[in-house]
Amino acid sequence: MTADLLTGLLAILQWKVLGFLAVGVLLGAVFGALPGLTATMGVAILTPLTFWVSAEQGLAMLLGIYCGAIPAGGIPAILINVPGTPASIATAWDGYPLAQKGHAGLALGINALLSAVGQLTSIFFLAVAAFPIASFALRFGPAEYFGLALFGISLMAGVSGERVGKGMLAGMLGLALATVGLDPMTAYPRYTFGHSEFLDGIAFVPVMIGLFGLAEVLVQISERWGKVEPAPGKLGRIWPDAAQWKRMFVPMLTGAGIGTFVGAVPAAGGDIGSVIAWEQTRRTSRRKAEFGKGSLEGLAASCAACNGAIGGAMTTMLTLGIPGDAPSAVLIGALLIHGIQPGPLLFRDHRSFIFSIVFLMAFAAILVMLVGLLGAKPLARALRIPNPWLWAGIVLFGTVGSYALNNAVVDVWAMFFAGIAGFLLRKADVPLGPLVLGLILGPMMESNLRRALILSRGDWLGTLFSSPIVVFFLAATLLSLLLPLLKKRRTT
Amino acid sequence: MRRGGWRALIVGVALSHVSCHQEEGPYPSKELKLIVQASPGGISDTVSRFMAALIEKDLGVPVVCENKPGASGALAFSYVARRAPDGYTLGHAPVEIAVVRALGYADVGPDNMGLICLVSKIPAVLVVREDAPWNSFEEFLSAARREPGRLIMAHSGTGSIWHFNSLLMEQAADVRVTYLPYGGSSQSLASLLGGHVDAAIAGTGEAIANVQAGRLKVLAVFDKARSRLYPEAPTSYELGYEFGAPAWSGFFTPVGVPEEILDRLESAFHKGFESAEWTKLCEERGMEAVYMGRDEFREFALEQAEFFSEEIPRLLTLER
Repeated sequence: MTADLLTGLLAILQWKVLGFLAVGVLLGAVFGALPGLTATMGVAILTPLTFWVSAEQGLAMLLGIYCGAIPAGGIPAILINVPGTPASIATAWDGYPLAQKGHAGLALGINALLSAVGQLTSIFFLAVAAFPIASFALRFGPAEYFGLALFGISLMAGVSGERVGKGMLAGMLGLALATVGLDPMTAYPRYTFGHSEFLDGIAFVPVMIGLFGLAEVLVQISERWGKVEPAPGKLGRIWPDAAQWKRMFVPMLTGAGIGTFVGAVPAAGGDIGSVIAWEQTRRTSRRKAEFGKGSLEGLAASCAACNGAIGGAMTTMLTLGIPGDAPSAVLIGALLIHGIQPGPLLFRDHRSFIFSIVFLMAFAAILVMLVGLLGAKPLARALRIPNPWLWAGIVLFGTVGSYALNNAVVDVWAMFFAGIAGFLLRKADVPLGPLVLGLILGPMMESNLRRALILSRGDWLGTLFSSPIVVFFLAATLLSLLLPLLKKRRTT
Repeated sequence: MRRGGWRALIVGVALSHVSCHQEEGPYPSKELKLIVQASPGGISDTVSRFMAALIEKDLGVPVVCENKPGASGALAFSYVARRAPDGYTLGHAPVEIAVVRALGYADVGPDNMGLICLVSKIPAVLVVREDAPWNSFEEFLSAARREPGRLIMAHSGTGSIWHFNSLLMEQAADVRVTYLPYGGSSQSLASLLGGHVDAAIAGTGEAIANVQAGRLKVLAVFDKARSRLYPEAPTSYELGYEFGAPAWSGFFTPVGVPEEILDRLESAFHKGFESAEWTKLCEERGMEAVYMGRDEFREFALEQAEFFSEEIPRLLTLER
């Protein structure tokens, strides 16, 4: 064991390997920070380049990209309300308000620090408990996925703040939009109006860029156009003080834990994990009212969770050969190219290699943190760019990013359409969080309910009570819906 | 201040056009574009990016891959088919080029493409868990025959090549199973490993990790010849069931590319195919390195398109 650990460590303690890791982290940060360019894309595009270097060097670069992109995705989420990758949606909910209040530096600092905490926690889980986590992930059959998705959907109410009715409407709109495209079971086209561009459904990333980025620009233009801009305030501190650390401690651990487990479940990644962690933290917090308005706890939970998902996803990928999320799916391909077959045998035959990966990821996490902390001040200054330039920049990057995703013009239209719709919804005081939840979870809920019903041959009760995990999620869903009502009754 | 925003936009748009104009010379004089019909990271993407890197060396110009996923590839196929036939836009041609018309996604097929060559194929494999009561394809089939529709089989999605392979199995062996469609083989294999379904069908390379680890066992490979990955596993043809529709990978251009350019491309791809790197990639990713030149590939692809356009409507009604 210790011998494997040392061999694994020594294999990567070479200047070339660490150099590739650093290059990967920086590239990953660029991919993550630009909306539309995702971690998955970064890893996929650079995979062929690693064919001509050693396995350690290639893997160092690719893991660096993966570990660098997710924290960097939080940067545009905080600065301009556009999540750089889908994983940082919940980071925008509290990070952006915090930045608008003049604490951009602090928000970026927290993003850098707690992303590292999330990654290191999940990497630790990977090192010590890979197989228990993986076998837990395998227990997720269709019914369990349905339970998880249903629970996620029930968070819509919490994400809506005080506007529960409007939030539900937005959520239903999201669920409705999620039905566009090929039917997940029968492959029959739904609401495509004969356009093959819509067969795969409405692309999520452009809609996200539109709803958050473009809509935010339009709202700001409508409110601030032609007005004298207030003099930019001080950047403020980057490092949280002791009291702030204390407040963030529990949310951070909750986030890292939830992120790791949700990340380990195949087909559920950091986006779902961080929303769940955010809402759990809100529910148990004594300062519920602050959430969505710049809560440190909310930011801590979401940053830790979307990064915790990295270790979780890697755990499933390495132990089972089955990816826990999209970037790790691409990493499997990269490993295979270097003659490494992820799967149960990897842990028996290549133990030291597993430790190499663990150390590479840990180094990457620390490196990303340093980059994030060093970059916080200069990046926070981006907010001092005069508004029209900033707005134009967001529209430009949003357009390019939407196109770059699938190289499809239809996605650019989707972005603009979502932006205008998001602007109108914002003006009508409709929260957009539930809409996004509906879009992410709708396909997962629908297809898995239908799969579960195929498995139980149409028996609804048999489906819903088929395993303790399903019952747990159903109970949690019921509780999350009923508790606020009960509390209200008691207080009135 | 107001004008500032416009200025920024104009600079951005102008910058994005800078690299577009270059001098024309003997082919190839500028970079080639290779359109991939799937998202980054999948097998199609890997094959394309690797081949791109290999032919780049021979052609001496960059070959840039661009992913245009959607509609089983129909979007990318129609996009490439509509480009100018100058040899500077290529497309990855997977088995779906012979399928999308039959599925009604787009009016595009091997007959309106300029096919270059085929470089690999991946047969389907039927896997069950190690503790499953069936130790051979025959035992599995007789269980399926005993109780039609009782066994549940996961595949990578309705209309996918692995789904068609399982439908072909039902037809050839006259059995009925219940399908559980997933969004890709990694999900269908996870569901098999987790004990949620009885069997799964996937590509040979996709199942290998868990087969080697002894968690899954192979009942049959749906192909004519034995797979190099599973030398012990019998093929469907050996067992007396004449079916099997492997996935494959090739490359194409729009129709009307001059012969000498096609020759140049084909020889570049052929050199790439013969490289040690390609052999290694095929081994690692569980593909069979198979080469077909222009004429052979054309004949084969047309044959496949005819097969799928006949079989698909029938197979899909077979599944109630």
